[in-house]
Amino acid sequence: MTPGLQAYLTVAGVLFAIGFAGVLLRRNVLIIYMCLELMLTASTLALVAFSRFNGTMDGAIFVFFIITVAAAEVAVGLAIIVALYRRRRTIQVDELNYLKN
Amino acid sequence: MNLPVIFTIILLLPLISAAVITLFLRRSGKLAECASVGSGFLIMGLSLYVLLTWNGQTFHQSWEWLRFGNFSYSMGYLFDNQASLMLLVVSFVAGWIQLFSVGYMDEDEAQGRFFGGLSIFMFSMLGIVLADNLVMLFVFWELVGFSSYMLIAHYYKTDFANMASRKAFIVNRIGDFGFVVGIVWCYHHYGTLDLQTLANIITAHPDLLGTGAAVGIGLLIMCGFVGKSAQFPIQVWLTDAMAGPTPVSALIHAATMVAAGIYLMARVFFLLPPFTQEWIMWSGAGMTAFAGLCALGQTDIKKSLAYSTLSHLGYMATALGLGYPGLALFHMAMHACFKATLFLGAGSVIHACHHEQDIYKMGGLLRRMPITAITFAIASLSICAMPFFAGYYSKDSIISAAYLMGANHGAVFYGVYVLVFVGAVCTSLYMGRLFFVVFLGQPRSEHAEHAHESSAFMTIPLIILGFLSLTAGWVVYGWTWDNGHMIWLLPASCVQVFIGDFNLIAKQVESSSLGHPLEILDIVLGVAAIIATYFFYGRARTGDPLAAKAPGVYHLLERHGWFDDFYDWYVAKVQQPVCEMFGSFDKLFIEFGCVWGTGLATGLTGSLLKRAYVGSLHAYVYWFFAGVILFWAYAVGWL
Amino acid sequence: MAAFFFYFFSALSILAALFVVLNREAVNSAMCMIVSFVGVAALFVLLEAYFLAVLQVLVYAGAVMVLFLFIIMLLDTRERNRPRLGGFNLFAGVVSLILLAAGAAWLAHQFPLSVAPQAAPLMPPDDNPLAYATSAKAFGYGLFTRYMLPFQVTGFLLLIAMVGVIVLSKRPAAPPANEPQR
Repeated sequence: MTPGLQAYLTVAGVLFAIGFAGVLLRRNVLIIYMCLELMLTASTLALVAFSRFNGTMDGAIFVFFIITVAAAEVAVGLAIIVALYRRRRTIQVDELNYLKN
Repeated sequence: MNLPVIFTIILLLPLISAAVITLFLRRSGKLAECASVGSGFLIMGLSLYVLLTWNGQTFHQSWEWLRFGNFSYSMGYLFDNQASLMLLVVSFVAGWIQLFSVGYMDEDEAQGRFFGGLSIFMFSMLGIVLADNLVMLFVFWELVGFSSYMLIAHYYKTDFANMASRKAFIVNRIGDFGFVVGIVWCYHHYGTLDLQTLANIITAHPDLLGTGAAVGIGLLIMCGFVGKSAQFPIQVWLTDAMAGPTPVSALIHAATMVAAGIYLMARVFFLLPPFTQEWIMWSGAGMTAFAGLCALGQTDIKKSLAYSTLSHLGYMATALGLGYPGLALFHMAMHACFKATLFLGAGSVIHACHHEQDIYKMGGLLRRMPITAITFAIASLSICAMPFFAGYYSKDSIISAAYLMGANHGAVFYGVYVLVFVGAVCTSLYMGRLFFVVFLGQPRSEHAEHAHESSAFMTIPLIILGFLSLTAGWVVYGWTWDNGHMIWLLPASCVQVFIGDFNLIAKQVESSSLGHPLEILDIVLGVAAIIATYFFYGRARTGDPLAAKAPGVYHLLERHGWFDDFYDWYVAKVQQPVCEMFGSFDKLFIEFGCVWGTGLATGLTGSLLKRAYVGSLHAYVYWFFAGVILFWAYAVGWL
Repeated sequence: MAAFFFYFFSALSILAALFVVLNREAVNSAMCMIVSFVGVAALFVLLEAYFLAVLQVLVYAGAVMVLFLFIIMLLDTRERNRPRLGGFNLFAGVVSLILLAAGAAWLAHQFPLSVAPQAAPLMPPDDNPLAYATSAKAFGYGLFTRYMLPFQVTGFLLLIAMVGVIVLSKRPAAPPANEPQR
């Protein structure tokens, strides 16, 4: 059975859900970040699927931008995490609670 | 000649002088003196010019200044006979007193402030004189109160001056509160505040004066008069106001400001129903006698003269109450002359004795300060209403009018006559006491020994005002010159104010049986009183012989009938607890509950919301997810 | 044939993603992530978005994940990076997972059963330049005409990101007085 649109979307949805679960359950901030990237990838997959099945380029071009922005975002985010690590000497989110109260 | 322009110049000249002094000349006393005295004499010159060239027609012009809906507040000039007399008195006396101050304040260190205050006072007083509606009059009324406050507190480094100035201002405010309510009610009842329009309304509908509203309005406007002219029951500020320098006492608290109340009453005389007039008459007559007696219990020369002022204000009030505003203004003009002379003489003496004010530390100054002594003597005779002196014509007129009131309107009014008669005898008593103690006998202190005649700055005004105290009353003989424009020394327009009432009274005295004999009795008793005081006080060495012989009576007189003590008790024991009760109510409910409470509520809410900041990233993600579900449910249509 | 590849690569992606979430070691998670990205790139190939597939491998798997590995090895990841499956966390995690999967499935089935269209052309037809095509030129065409503004803005974004990273990475002049020592 050739995979239709729903198949691709289901895969994207499951990937997104797994990424989301990772964000919720892990305490290592780097792994949380990686799961964020997983979610982004899932959304790019959905976009390309839509673009293909609609026959226009708009979705694909949007994915292009997403990939670029995600790369920039990863760079900055990791710089922040490194700076945070230098200050707090930890990367466990439940110890990074200086905004508490 | 362009009246509004001249009036504006007269009004603004002292204001400009005050502004220049305040901005530039605070440090340079001499220049400030020049500015103030210069403006004073310019005003005197311009006023005389106006009075000489005025054709006698009432001049009224006003300009709208502010408009609130239906109510329009306008400023303008109403120049009639009354205003002309008042203008003459104010500008003339003030000009010479300013010259006197140059000599009196020569050792003072804050001359700039003093002369600035004098200029502001001139501005305010001239505003009252020329005002054409009640609101403008009230504005300048308050300004005069402020100038008085500022000038009394000239020696602000002493507690006494500070407290006296505050007392004067606050007591004045009590009267002004009634005044303001009266003005508002007047506007509500009559629809206008313009004096001429009000006069027209009342003359067109005389029955309007019978309503309760008219009585209320009359009484409330009288409150302003009671405050400013120190009538019963708030006369307590005038004697304390003597804390200011003597020229201030002379100008403000003898000649002009306290006369502003009389002037107000004369201006709104048509608004006063008979009840108000009776009240003014009785309270004025009572004050005449009481203050006259109190003057015998004071050892401070200025306080004694202050009680004398109170007594004579009582005379003017009695005249108003009897229904003769012209007589009141006549006595006011004469009183300005001789009271100013007396105060200036006292100032000269105080200055020569190095600011000593106790009369039992003076003495024997007749030889040392002849000019002062002679002018003081002339003014004393004038105030005792000796024949041919200025005071005789006005004061005796009032006393005769009081007698005629009793003769014509019922025996109860003889009480008024008795009171003013007693006041007249007291006048002779205390003035005699004052003169004999201060100027005759032997000097009682070092300063008095070394006193010498004051400088020309002080003696020239004394001479001029003393001369007027002697001769100003001769206008009643009607010696006209300058084509009927001038009568003796006053312009005819000024004389018009009172000559009618004076002649009326004189005629009635002629026709009544006891009129003349009573006059002669009055004069004889006055002379006898003066001679008696010579023997009683003239020999005194130190201390008051009355205090020695009748200490109880003396104590009553000295404590001014315990008016001050009663008010102190009232404020401390009655008013203060009520205010504190209100204060605690305010503190508890408003400050604590509302103001502090809203802050507390906001703080609590903030604390509660702060709980959401757990610091855990996961918690924030859960919140985010919950928000997404909410939005999704709404978008789908489940919500 | 296409179906087999689809199932294989999608299963690979999903399994690798699961391993990312469940792994104890951060380095292992990163490696599994790379595998997952490769799987997604293969799915892109199946969708005939060849340019994007290459881009995914180059940028994501190649640059981003390498950066991640750098940082993981730079920072001192401790023992306790096991997902703590304590009560509330587990419950919340499972519930959210179910919700999300259900939502995604529901969303997926909103769309009508679509038949795979015919193969995409290499170049877009002239009358519809933004039609789906496989060549890079189609991308270029869309980027430089319709999406010119986002293109320029993305350029700026990259510049800002670079500057931001440099600023953030600077060591402070003096070490802070009291660092919390854990």
